[in-house]
Amino acid sequence: MAMTSPHEDDANQDLIEQLSDLIDRGESPSDDFLNKAPENRIAFNALTRFRSMAQNILDDDVSAEPDRDDSWVAGILTNIHREARAGRSIPVSHSSPKADLSLTEGAVRGLIRSAGDAVAGTFIGRCRLEGDVTTLGSPVTVNVEASVFWGERMPQTAQQLRDAITTSLLHHTELNIVAVNVTITDVHLRRNPKDEGSPAQDG
Amino acid sequence: MAVTGSIERAPLDDAADSILAARAADGDLRAFEVLVRRHGPLMRAYATRILGSNSDSDDVVQETFITAWEQLPELQDPAAMKAWLMRITSRKAIDRIRARKQDQPLGEWDAPAPESESPHQRAEAASQRERLTRALATLSEAQRQCWTLREIGGHSYAEIAEELDVPPSTVRGLLARARQRLMQEMEEWR
Repeated sequence: MAMTSPHEDDANQDLIEQLSDLIDRGESPSDDFLNKAPENRIAFNALTRFRSMAQNILDDDVSAEPDRDDSWVAGILTNIHREARAGRSIPVSHSSPKADLSLTEGAVRGLIRSAGDAVAGTFIGRCRLEGDVTTLGSPVTVNVEASVFWGERMPQTAQQLRDAITTSLLHHTELNIVAVNVTITDVHLRRNPKDEGSPAQDG
Repeated sequence: MAVTGSIERAPLDDAADSILAARAADGDLRAFEVLVRRHGPLMRAYATRILGSNSDSDDVVQETFITAWEQLPELQDPAAMKAWLMRITSRKAIDRIRARKQDQPLGEWDAPAPESESPHQRAEAASQRERLTRALATLSEAQRQCWTLREIGGHSYAEIAEELDVPPSTVRGLLARARQRLMQEMEEWR
């Protein structure tokens, strides 16, 4: 750009502020405004181009990064506090009155997830134990959300999930399960590793 | 026991963000790891853009995901994972800049940028990304941060003002100057 005088520079900045405000509000300037002076159209085109470039720049940055080893992932995983998710303590009966055995709610949720994941084409999401799990024998309802593979028949899949979860809890816990409710909240596709923007992403 | 159909059991990598976020909120470390691998590189790129270099970006990404793990149970819309992580990333990156510059007045933060590159240097930058990166390098730090939070992060003026702890009018001025400078720098390949 040719050298501009301070005065022209100010005028230019005013123009850019005006146009920026419009663009930031998601509006477009009128044709009259764009046709009034060539600078107006030049500035508007440049600003909209920067915006579209900005949308892609992080993805481009990621593609340009050389492959890295896994140490950054390990660094994160070793620094998080897993205990925070243990939840309530679920008593486990024992023949000796002196023994005090219990299972955490988090461990039971883990059991439910593995049982559900073992059903082909499904993932368990959120999982809640409703009821007083801290008292042995009190009725407990399991509410889980699940994602099923695109094309699966949902009622059958939901039934399989219910069966798998019930069986697993019967095997591994003493919980008095009165119901297992499955809500299908997502449908997923097989993810192409190079396609982060697959429909499954936004679920 | 579990009934297995004809479809092979899919790895957790196929699960949507919403499912993984819900599992991680329930304490599933494996699900959280998939989220870290899926979004970590983008958060690193974003942190690098805000910080202006990648020297601290790994630390910012680590802090971001540690905070994300802690706050996941409160996340209202687990499908909005990426936007949520980006907000945490920008906050962590700005905290770092603030700590780095604690004793410096705003004037210095918005110090004049280095001289722009010669047309010859500019012509060498092949891709749009490289050209934009070079043009961004000529902005003052304050201008670059405002521009990055606005255009890449999608923050409003008010949000940027709050994050950077300056009045919204300052943000507006910094953004206008950033955009004007970028126009000048990128004039040649219009």
